[in-house]
Amino acid sequence: MPHEGDMGTTIRVDGVRLTLGDDPPLPVLGGVDMVARANAVTAIVGPSGCGKSTLLDVIAGITPVQEGSVTFDADARVALMPQRDALMPWRTLRDNVALAAEVRGVRRTEARALADHEITRVGLAGFGDHYPHALSGGMRQRGALARTLLAQSGVWLLDEPFGALDALTRAEMHRVLRAVRAHTPTTLVLVTHDIAEAVALADVVLVASPAPMRITDAITVADHGADAGACVLDALRAAGVHA
Amino acid sequence: MTSAPVVEPVTAPVPIHVRRRISWARVALAIALPLVLIGIWQVCCWIFAPREWILPSPAVVAQAGWEVRDRLWYHAQWTTVVTAIGFALAVIVGSLLAALIARSRIAGLMLYPWIIVSQTIPLVALAPLLVLWMPEFGAMITLAALISIFPVIVAGVDGLRATDPELLRAVRALGASPRWVWLHVRIPAALPRWFTGLRLAAVFSVTGAVVGELVASARGLGALTRLSAGQFETPVTFAAVVILALIGIAMFLLVAIAEWAALPYLRRATRPGTR
Repeated sequence: MPHEGDMGTTIRVDGVRLTLGDDPPLPVLGGVDMVARANAVTAIVGPSGCGKSTLLDVIAGITPVQEGSVTFDADARVALMPQRDALMPWRTLRDNVALAAEVRGVRRTEARALADHEITRVGLAGFGDHYPHALSGGMRQRGALARTLLAQSGVWLLDEPFGALDALTRAEMHRVLRAVRAHTPTTLVLVTHDIAEAVALADVVLVASPAPMRITDAITVADHGADAGACVLDALRAAGVHA
Repeated sequence: MTSAPVVEPVTAPVPIHVRRRISWARVALAIALPLVLIGIWQVCCWIFAPREWILPSPAVVAQAGWEVRDRLWYHAQWTTVVTAIGFALAVIVGSLLAALIARSRIAGLMLYPWIIVSQTIPLVALAPLLVLWMPEFGAMITLAALISIFPVIVAGVDGLRATDPELLRAVRALGASPRWVWLHVRIPAALPRWFTGLRLAAVFSVTGAVVGELVASARGLGALTRLSAGQFETPVTFAAVVILALIGIAMFLLVAIAEWAALPYLRRATRPGTR
């Protein structure tokens, strides 16, 4: 299996500031300091529009750093899973998953074989020839997960990946994600506005302030047990979020 | 490589290949309206008996068309060739311009406003000038291309600019090069809108060819309508117009078939009771 030996990397974000636009300039990140430990799940919880997605874009290298630094302890590929599944409607499920290998220059036939392997792993065997519109929301997210797996990246950035799903499907996807991660250790940064989801999935929950965003608190879920959710809520209130 | 699911597999029954047969009921519905209108026209001609050179009945038009079939065929070939070449030219040049405008901000700022302004020029007025500047055949093709290029450019630019930002985010994070993004994301994403522009252009190209022939040519169905109307051969004029309509419909259908073949993912499975 290509993934068993893959290891995540620790991500350090130091004093990252970012301003978007110039008329008027909009400060989005106001000096973000955070650490996402290798192979752990770090959730970032904050109000809508506070800059969480922008922070993921900076970590992914899509948006260049203006001030401060983002460092990885080891070389690692990054995969980003956006809120909507971001499957291309003109590609079948197999070809959508295969593109994670195609961008690295893997030939299409080989990429498809790799894709079939990952599609089976996420429980979608037999659906490779389907176009995304023929799949349910949960199946499409499984497909996006298969693509993330095939990217063979040490760092997964999940931007509210289950936000558009109904509660049942979301619970199912939490189970799928845990099962997949049990086989493939990676550093995972999860952005969400759902406190229950953050506490359920994460080892550490970071609390974000409204824009310009800063990280105001870090709560280790294991230290608080059943009270972790309440702690996160208190921290959000302290950060100025009217939750 | 062994693959085993790490989670329980999905076993949802999902329709996959739904082959849609041609439904004769749909075809009948589509041609019902023109048949009814032709029937009303024929009945009116029986009742009011207008002079043939003012309004010939459908039966007279059909008979006249059959009698001058060689003439119609000769002119129809000419118009079809002009239309097809003009349309092809509009698609090639229009798509390249659309890519340039969508790709380069400077090109967009310099070209796009003027391409839109150019549409305010009545192209009919250009026909005599084009004939002055170039051989007749070239002038007709240029006119057909000029009239049909606009929807290709607008649809192309809109399509290329409207790529879902989440798709771009996902592939850029995977390390896709700008070239890869263009070839595998932006262009495929733009195709449905591009084809919409092509369908409009296909119909416009017939208009363009006819306008040129009407104003400044001795060949083509446009010229035939001008000449026959001038000699009060009204049934022949009507027959030429019918053939023109058929050429327009054929152009539209060809593009629609190409679209159907090129974009299989848009052939959605339809279930009974849904539309």
